[in-house]
This record gives sequence, structure tokens and C-alpha cells, in this order.
Amino acid sequence: MIRIEEISKSFGDNKAVDSISFEVNTGEIFGFLGPNGAGKSTTLNILSTLLKPDKGRIFINDQDLQEHKRACQLQIGVVPQEISLYADLSALDNVLFWGGLYGMPKARLKERAMQALEMVGLADRKKDSIKTYSGGMKRRINLACSILHDPSILLLDEPTVGVDIQSRNHIFEVIEKLRDDGMTIIYTTHYLDEVERLCDNIAIIDGGKIKAQGDLETLGKISKIKDVLTVQTDTLSEQVRNAIRDSLPSCSFSSPATIELECTNIADDTCRLMDVVRESGVRIQSIDTRKADLESIFLKLTGKNLRD
Amino acid sequence: MLRLFKKDQILFWSDKQAVALSFLLPIVLISLFAFTFGGFGNNSNSSEPTELLVVDLDQTPFSESLITALDTAAYFKVIKVGFDPANEKVSTGDAPFALVLHKGLNDSSIQKKPLPFELLYDLAKGMEVRMVRPVLTGHLTQLTNSSSQEIPTVRPPEKFRLELTSLVGETKEANLGLIQAVCGTAILMLLFSVSGLGASILEEKENGTLSRLLYSPISANTVLFAKMLSTFSLAFIQLSIMFIFSWLVFGLDIFINLPALILMITCTAFAVSSFGIFLASIAKTRAQAQSLSTLIILIMSSIGGSIIPMFAMPAIMKKVAVISVNYWGIQGFFDIFWRDLGMVEMLPKMLILLGMGAVMTLISLRFFNKNVLKLV
Repeated sequence: MIRIEEISKSFGDNKAVDSISFEVNTGEIFGFLGPNGAGKSTTLNILSTLLKPDKGRIFINDQDLQEHKRACQLQIGVVPQEISLYADLSALDNVLFWGGLYGMPKARLKERAMQALEMVGLADRKKDSIKTYSGGMKRRINLACSILHDPSILLLDEPTVGVDIQSRNHIFEVIEKLRDDGMTIIYTTHYLDEVERLCDNIAIIDGGKIKAQGDLETLGKISKIKDVLTVQTDTLSEQVRNAIRDSLPSCSFSSPATIELECTNIADDTCRLMDVVRESGVRIQSIDTRKADLESIFLKLTGKNLRD
Repeated sequence: MLRLFKKDQILFWSDKQAVALSFLLPIVLISLFAFTFGGFGNNSNSSEPTELLVVDLDQTPFSESLITALDTAAYFKVIKVGFDPANEKVSTGDAPFALVLHKGLNDSSIQKKPLPFELLYDLAKGMEVRMVRPVLTGHLTQLTNSSSQEIPTVRPPEKFRLELTSLVGETKEANLGLIQAVCGTAILMLLFSVSGLGASILEEKENGTLSRLLYSPISANTVLFAKMLSTFSLAFIQLSIMFIFSWLVFGLDIFINLPALILMITCTAFAVSSFGIFLASIAKTRAQAQSLSTLIILIMSSIGGSIIPMFAMPAIMKKVAVISVNYWGIQGFFDIFWRDLGMVEMLPKMLILLGMGAVMTLISLRFFNKNVLKLV
């Protein structure tokens, strides 16, 4: 597991990370979300030992990262945002090179290299030079290089940028398998659907501070974003609109024929609205529900779109 | 295409140091060559007098008066030495020539025999000798004529004789020009090669592999030393191949003192590879590294004898030359191929090369942590 206690990091006057704390449990995928410049990369760079925090402590499987740097480094795998591979080397040579830095015995290294290549589905192209690979295949090798030394913790920094659907799904499958095998994973991305699919817990960071953390339901509660029911009808008279407002005060009308209702309980609220509309004799044309999703939660909490 | 052009322009002009170096480079080189061949300004009298070692074996008032008169001439700065030190200085390349006033000079003058002057020189400094000889002959002629007023028995000037004795290279089959070309060019090209390899650190920084290396349980210094080892091995192999090629194609006798040659190649490769890493460490971007390396390599090679042979340099440039790796490398190889010096005589040059390498490595370590490791 990973425990971060009030770490801060400044670059000159810019406070990139401001006293953040969170925990990631063993075998959990933890989504780390934030707009550009929010402090995600700085946090990951601190976790990956590339940067030292100005203050605060980090524990990797109960070992202090600063005090046991080498031991912690052996437990951490990092998948960098860039495709950090040697283009002129083959996939196998790259995997062997990066894995070899962790001091694995030669036989074990070769065995793990083949396992990693098979896991990312590129064992059959192991002898091909990386420069002949597609962007998605390079990303998969980028991942393979990071798991070769069998780390218990994996840091993934936007691992699917510029990746085709096939490779993206392959990467998801690998990550899910690693999680199922007990690996603890921190995952940063700009794609909210990836977080919704993969992550057990999420932290939203902005301006160097964590705005909220928890699972999707918890974040929804924190952000106070509700599910929205939208009903299209014939044109509503002022009298009908008043009747609906009297019965359901949280209703609004985005057009003379569109009723929008922020729901506390979507099932109960839908029944009540249907009753009022039916009683007033108005014909319903369509009904649509919009669940509180991560995008709206993120927007509510940070005031920004994730790609801002 | 226009967008790509615009992007490249923005990248270039935003790196102010690279821009400055790009313009500074031609200015510095023009200044260097102008100084080397023309001196500063137009005042021809500003050149320093040539140092002339004089051995007075005659030890008479006549020989003393000649030496005093030579010393007062604007062209020479006389340094009186014994015969053996003069011989050694010329033999080891520390002095280009030495004038010997042989015993019997005064007697020869009285007996109207040819005056026994001798000029000891190194054939490698042949051009300097050719330039100095007529001036020296002219001065001696003038002095012996003017001395005749005080010493009436002096020989008439037409009977004056200056013997030339080459101490180094007279019996050599080796081609002096070949040695200069091979050693000078080898070190020049080596500097360019290792600077390129050294700059690959910056390429690793730019493509993210350096960060990835630092995530792993190896230290930043290990990364630097590994890169230095690569550049050293490249330098060693490149120098060795150049000498083997010169042996095969031009007949350069590389077996004349093979252990010394291997040691000198090792020392030169170490100094040069340290230089490559040093360049990569002080630069922040590859563009800076390229401009800096071109500038420093051309200056070092020009003053160190790779581009312009040492004998063609003015005195001040010869003094400045000692700061360059090229100078010590070339002089070391000259000791082997030309001067036939033993390992002990070559040791100071080897130690200087190792010292230069060590200093540049230490500076590189400091700058590597300061400049190159600024990853985020």
C-alpha cells in the first residue's frame, strides 16, 4: 500500500503540491485526476523518487521512501507519459535493458521478459525494432518494461495517450490483471471513461491541493451533483408549469416544452413528475435521465474541464 | 510546411544561448585566425622577440660581446645555457633551436679561420629554423663586422660559417607532415565524435529515457559515468583505428614504442571523453551543446596544433596552447613517433592529460546535477 502524509513541493514561488495526503490500498487502482498543472506529475515524480518533497512523508508498504529509497525503488514500477524506449533496439532488448537495471538474475530476467511481452500481446514481435511499432504497440512495450521486475506498486502516467482502441483495450486488460494479481496501481489520465472503468478510488487534485477523494458515489455526494431527469412534452402553459413547480420545486424549464428535474431519488421523483404531468393532461414525448458522472463532478469541483 | 518552418524558427530563437553561440562562433574563429596569422592591430613591432638559447663554449671577451650584441637586437631574447641543457631542450621539443659558440671562436677570428658557430635544431621545427636562420646569419654577419672595429683580427664576413645540426629527426624515415596530420586530425575528429556521444545525454533527457533511468535504483552519477565509459571506449577505438590505418596505408611506425603508444592513446581518450561529458553537462539543450562543442573544439584545435601546426604559431599562442587537450595529445604522440622519448620523459604529458580529464569529470559531475537533472 501507499500512504502519503502532507507532502508539499514548490518550484520557486510556485507551490506545485500543497500538503496533500491520501492512501492507496493494496490491490487497488487509484485514479489521480486533475487539469494540466494541477500537481499530478509532481506528485508522481515524488512517488517515483525523481523529486524530493519539501516536506511530508511517503510510505511504500510501510517503508519510508526517503529512508529506504533503494528498497522502495525496487517495489515501484513507473510507466512514464513519454514513450521512453530506445527506438533502435528491439522490443526484447528494451525490456531486457530496463528490467536489467533492477538487478534481476539473468535467467529470471529472460523468463520475466517473455512473460511481460506475452502479457502485452507482443511476444511474437519481440525481435522487431521499436521504431517499426505503432504508437499503441510502443505504449504496450512501455508498460511491459515497467512490470518486468515484478513491482508491488505501479505508477501509470497517462498510459493510453495517442493509442488505438485495440492497444487501449489491451492495456486495460493488463492493468486489470495486474490489479487482480494484487498490484497497487496509481493511474493518471485525461480520459474520464478510463477512470470510471478502472479505478476503485479517485482523488481530484487542482492547484496542488486534493479537492475530493473516494469512490464515484462518494465524489458525487461531496460535489452535491444530482441525477437529472429531462422530460420533453407538448408546449406547457403557464398554469401547468406553476402546478409542476408547486409539486416539485426543484423543477426547471429550459424551454416551454422541456422539464428538467434534479433528483434526490430518481425513481420516486420520476413517479411524482409523471403524476403531475398526467393530471394536467399534457402529452409526454420523451423521457431521458442523466446520471451524475465523473465529468460533471470534476467540473463542479474544479470549475474546469479535465482537458483545460 | 510553413507551420513546420514557423515552429522551427520559434524553437531556435527562443533558445537565446544557442542563438548567441551561433553568432559568436564565427566571430571568435575569425578573431583567432586573424590573430594567429596577423597579430593584433597593424603594429609589426608588437611581436615578441624570439627566444634564442646560446651555448658559449668559447668563454672569451669576443664571444661575450657577440652574445651581448645578439641580446640587444630586437629580434632575439638570448638565454645562456650549457651545452647539455640546450641539447636536451631541443631534443625534447622544449626549444626549437640553440646557437652554439664553439671553443676556438676567438682564435679562429684571430687566425682568420671560419668562425665555428653551430645551430642545433629539431627537424620538426624546420619551418621555424628556416625563418630564423637568415635573420640570425644577418645578425652574426653584422656583429662580427662591427666587432672587427674593436677586435681588428676578426675574419671578414664572407668567411663566416653557420653549421646546422639537427638533433631530432635527421635519421628518421618517418614523415613529419604525416605525424602532424595523423595526430592533429585524429584528436580533432575525436573531439567531435565524443562531443556528439556526450550530447546523447541531453537526447536521453529530451526523449524521457533519462527520467526512466533515474526511476530505477541506479544513481545519477552512475548514468554519467556509464556515458563516459561509452565515450572513452569510442575514443580509444577511434584513435587506435586511426593509427592502425596510418600504419597500413602511410607506413607510420606504430610499433616503435607500442606500450607508450597504448598508454598515450588511453590518456588522450580519457581526456577527450571527459571533455565530451563536460560539454554535455554544461549545456542545457542539445542545440546549446552542439554550438558550444563546435566553438570549443575549433578553438582548442586551433591553439593546440590540430589545425595550425605549433611551429607556425606566434609565441603567445604557444603559451596559450597548453590549456588544450590537443596540444598535450599531439606533443605526446610526437614524443613517440618523432622524438623517440622513453616512457619516463612522456610521463608528465600523460599525467597532464589525465589531470585535465579528472578536472573536467569533476566539473561535469557538478553541472550534470545542476543542469541535466532538471527534469521537471
